[in-house]
Amino acid sequence: MLSASSPASPASAGQPARSRLAALRQRFTRLPREARDTLFLLLVIAWIIAPHLGHLPTWCGALALATLLGRGALAVAGRPLPGALWRVGLLLIAVGATLATHRTLFGRDAGVTLIVVLLALKTLELRARRDAFVVFFLGFFTMLTNFFFSQSLTTAAAMLVALLGLLTALVNAHRPVGRPGLGTSAGVALRLALWGTPVMVALFLLFPRVAPLWSLPTDARSAKSGLSATMEVGNITQLALDDSIAMRVKFDGAVPPQPELYFRGPVLSEFDGRIWRPRVLRRSADPAPDLQALGAPVRYQVTLEPTQQPWLFALDAVTERPRIGGLPTRLTPDLQWLAERPVTELLRYTAQSHPQYRLGPLQAEGATRIALQDDVDLPPGFNPRTLQLAAELQRDPRLAGRGAGALVEAMLERLRTGGYRYTLEPAPAGVNTADAFWFDTKEGFCEHIASAFVVLMRALDVPARVVTGYQGGELNRLDGFLEVRQSDAHAWAEVWIAGQGWVRVDPTAAVAPGRTGTAQRLAPPQGAITQAIGTLSPDLLARLRQGWSALNNSWNQWVLNYTQNRQLDFLRNLGFEEPDWRDLARVLAALVGLAAAVSAVWALWQRAQHDPWLRLLERARARLRRAGLAVPEGATPRALVQLLQSNPLPRSSTNGSDSAPLVDWLLALERWRYARPTDGATTQAAHTTAASRRADLAALRRRFTQLPWHPRR
Amino acid sequence: MNLRATPLPPPTSGLLAAWRARVRRWFVARLRASDTVTLTQRTVYILPTRAGLMLGATLAVLLIASINYQLNLGYLLTFLLAGSALAAMHVGHANLRGLTLHLLPTAEAFALSPLPLEVQLSESQGRERPAIAVRVLDELPRAAADDPWVWTDVPARGSVRVHLAWRASHRGRVRPPALSAQTHYPLGIFRVWTVWQPAAPLLVYPAPEAHAPPLPAGQATDGVPLAGSQRGGAEFDGVRAWRRGDPLRNVVWKKWARSGELVSRDHASPQSFELWLEPALTGLSDREAMLSRLCAWVLAADRADLLYGLRLDAVDIAPGRGPVHRRACLEALATC
Repeated sequence: MLSASSPASPASAGQPARSRLAALRQRFTRLPREARDTLFLLLVIAWIIAPHLGHLPTWCGALALATLLGRGALAVAGRPLPGALWRVGLLLIAVGATLATHRTLFGRDAGVTLIVVLLALKTLELRARRDAFVVFFLGFFTMLTNFFFSQSLTTAAAMLVALLGLLTALVNAHRPVGRPGLGTSAGVALRLALWGTPVMVALFLLFPRVAPLWSLPTDARSAKSGLSATMEVGNITQLALDDSIAMRVKFDGAVPPQPELYFRGPVLSEFDGRIWRPRVLRRSADPAPDLQALGAPVRYQVTLEPTQQPWLFALDAVTERPRIGGLPTRLTPDLQWLAERPVTELLRYTAQSHPQYRLGPLQAEGATRIALQDDVDLPPGFNPRTLQLAAELQRDPRLAGRGAGALVEAMLERLRTGGYRYTLEPAPAGVNTADAFWFDTKEGFCEHIASAFVVLMRALDVPARVVTGYQGGELNRLDGFLEVRQSDAHAWAEVWIAGQGWVRVDPTAAVAPGRTGTAQRLAPPQGAITQAIGTLSPDLLARLRQGWSALNNSWNQWVLNYTQNRQLDFLRNLGFEEPDWRDLARVLAALVGLAAAVSAVWALWQRAQHDPWLRLLERARARLRRAGLAVPEGATPRALVQLLQSNPLPRSSTNGSDSAPLVDWLLALERWRYARPTDGATTQAAHTTAASRRADLAALRRRFTQLPWHPRR
Repeated sequence: MNLRATPLPPPTSGLLAAWRARVRRWFVARLRASDTVTLTQRTVYILPTRAGLMLGATLAVLLIASINYQLNLGYLLTFLLAGSALAAMHVGHANLRGLTLHLLPTAEAFALSPLPLEVQLSESQGRERPAIAVRVLDELPRAAADDPWVWTDVPARGSVRVHLAWRASHRGRVRPPALSAQTHYPLGIFRVWTVWQPAAPLLVYPAPEAHAPPLPAGQATDGVPLAGSQRGGAEFDGVRAWRRGDPLRNVVWKKWARSGELVSRDHASPQSFELWLEPALTGLSDREAMLSRLCAWVLAADRADLLYGLRLDAVDIAPGRGPVHRRACLEALATC
């Protein structure tokens, strides 16, 4: 047992890090086995808990780490574990703190907090065999809870390491004799996992994917970043800093040019002066959008990251209801496409869009006129200067009577030339955001611009609305997927023009043509390392990012997105006509049967005699037995010779054979096995010798069949 | 932390214990006895342990969580764990399968005293077999903390000897107890075990009487009684050079200390005294008690290095001394 005050520690303080590491390592290997095993298990547990630290309450992470550290110190010092009072006390504190933090003990977040604390506290009670197993099984469960928060490749790799660590600790705990090396146990654990892999693959492919067994507590859907259902100036600005992937799009054929990549999301038609909201939908009364496709369609497949929202983003304009297995969808009159339930997991769908289209009624007459009237409503009392500007514009003889198209053109011209600036950090706007944009700050992000533009259009009595979604994306050259990130979130306007219907107008493009033309974006300041790599080789950074992204994408496509549809597709590829879950069960059962058959054959093969010489000898014994001799089991060739000499085979009247050739053969058989190798059999000639020995045995086998056996009666 | 297997849980009721004992007796009785056994599929049994059932429950919980939260990575974890558990079942079974058990002949065994059994575990398939435990399958009551299992690792292509303690209840040719070997390796979720009945009977000598009366008086060859056990070589005629085989206590150590010369006391013609041990001298009527006393006397006479003979119903063993003679006498006592 080493104590903290051992003379080695002050001396090592000034040594270089490497030798200190070696000293630490030596100290670890010199620990008593019990302490070493406990430290290893604690390390594994710390590794499992580590990814949680980011989203656990601070007290929980601190308590768990402190407990693990304290337990490790006790193990190294060889001191007894704390008494039951400590454990119960800590547990009560933990439960109380959980209640205080989450207001409940149930639900996902409270459950994760509790399970992490329990796992840490349980290490204080490793007395009986059962306690140790409880730690292992709690550990497995804690690993799973990590997946609530992230199912990325990194998390998967970290948890694979954790699983191997736990298995290593389990194997190690079941080698009670002596002090087996952890490396040996890790090898065994790795082998177990490798052998378990085919089982995992088969079950993963074939285990029927069913819907959740019961509805989940509400907090299961964590507030992920992404577009929100309403637009308040400032929302999308936050997204500009979020570099995570929103969706990946694979086009059949060429990727359309950047200015056409408008992925339509929520359409916001109601404005209360501050917040834009979607129009409340009267589902039964919703007419299908009045859409007319022009030109050639674009087909593509979208892999959407979970948004916790029912929106399905698609390029303008979706002409055909997109295919998405198992999930009913509908189109709203303003051409937004919705799923029946929120997208809580990675979702893949195919869609078809026509970049050239005509949307909405062409003329405002009757009911259409009333419907369009909703899209010119403005809340009273806001943006007085914008309303005044509209009044002035309407009186402008250059614009009067030339229709909405001219107004739009004029406003875009104003944005281009009026000194408006596109920025991520606009000055605060106050209550009248449109006024502020048009007259005061003259700067803003896409949402300011779109909102101000639509307000002005409505003030001009032109039906207009805000459309949010994503614009652009970056093509990953490694796998050919267009990667659309949260920072590509965008807001633009749609204006109704008589004779043209709803027309997309992107006022941001007028302010900052680079926003939609190329992949140029306003980028937040970079970290020091990123900057360093960027200056070293800008290309390298981009390529690293693309490679990593492609890897993540294939992980998403093949693992995370393996849903019931893909499962049934897989069965269809296997040749099932109309696969359902019973076919999955059938294939699974067939695999189990196959595995059982293979192992049975293997067992038989192992039990059978493999040595060709022994097999030949056994054949000889069997023949002699059939000829009427009492041959003992396991009789050697020499014993058989003696047996034959003491009572020769009965002489047959027909072929007159006697036992002499048989005796010769038996002696040759004996020589083959036991005779000293001839002098020529050096190591160089070993190979040829082995070959000639095989040939000799084959000759013996041939001779055996030609021996004049006594015919059976 | 050491997950050494605990013995079977203590029986909850006498009825259950009796039932277990009955099942075990029936099971052992139908075993084919042999001195050496190589374990095969037919003789190796496997069942999940309580920890294995716990793991099953854990897997079920993991699966339900994966279904409810639609975690494909959760499915992967669950199925990898299940696959590893299946692999562990195979590894555990293979850990015992193919192992050869052999009961070595015992040295010397008295009834009712601890009897050392030596079991050799041999490995011939070229892989190490860690954490194998062997125990005697008897029905002796034992304390709960007393773990009957003896643990060992068997090296690849090597063998290991394990010492077990047993207690024979009576003398004679005794059928050895059934032995059991088990392993929980590698994950402790399956118990793999075998039961084996060794064939060769053990020769168990009678239990020597604990406080036996002193040895009966010896007789000179001419029939003059001597002063019994008092004369353990007290008289001697002189000294002679030490010869191989002379008892150490006959060495004249003083002489050796002075001159470095090793000499032995020369006894006064021990041949002239002989001690006959026979049932009549014990004064006991119960046969086993009588044999016990005779056994104690044989041991005492051997310790005193006397010349003694044994006279039983069927056999007469002429007076002699030394280990071979002692063994002959004890065997006669065991088998008569």
